[in-house]
Amino acid sequence: MTVVSDPNGGELRQLRPGLWDTVNERYPGSMITRDELVPLAAPRVPLNEARVTFVSTAGVQPRGTLPFDTVHPVGDYTFRRVPSGSRTDELEIHQLKYPTFGAEKDLNVIFPIERLQELVAENVIGGLTPDFFSFIGYNMDPERLERTLAEDIADAVCEQRPDLALMSPA
Amino acid sequence: MTERIKPPRAVFLPFMMGHHFGVPFHRELQWRIILDALALIYSATESGSVQKLPISWAQARNQAKALGLTEERNG
Repeated sequence: MTVVSDPNGGELRQLRPGLWDTVNERYPGSMITRDELVPLAAPRVPLNEARVTFVSTAGVQPRGTLPFDTVHPVGDYTFRRVPSGSRTDELEIHQLKYPTFGAEKDLNVIFPIERLQELVAENVIGGLTPDFFSFIGYNMDPERLERTLAEDIADAVCEQRPDLALMSPA
Repeated sequence: MTERIKPPRAVFLPFMMGHHFGVPFHRELQWRIILDALALIYSATESGSVQKLPISWAQARNQAKALGLTEERNG
């Protein structure tokens, strides 16, 4: 792997120049910007003893659960629990904002639940939290997102006491 | 966007939206992305670390084609 930005250097190299500005112009006020870096939290246990959770904006949810509202103009500020022992055919995607043709063949390209299960079986990681956590990324009010959905997910994640959290956009 | 949000650690992949863990059925690539991300949790010494995996979207797709990874389906 190659380190492409230096957190001590102040100015981070833009990986995709102009993308943030383009989105912010199209959806004014929708983009979250942080001014300060979050302090690192040191892992408490080695990877092969660590309980891992997964948080995703992929809009993946168990079949039969209330679908995300993918057409609401300001977004859906709820999340779904996805049992970490689920099979991929027990899950479905409710999300309109990203291409799903790969995920329709193999859900692991965006929600790698089988790969994480396999890493536990191989004793590479210690275990998984009972649930993973999923929501949709189309939320146009960042203050509401932080005040409600982010706090709700953080509480739900902490209740399951993970050692490590893998988080992915979609 | 990652740089604007400033997560403490991040792995960046130049892949198509909706395919952040690679291409369908390419288990080795999917494992590698997960493990590289988890490894960064242990190796990062400064908050704001962003690492780029040295594989392009075209390379990932070509690998899958070469391996014949096109037939399986969810369920």
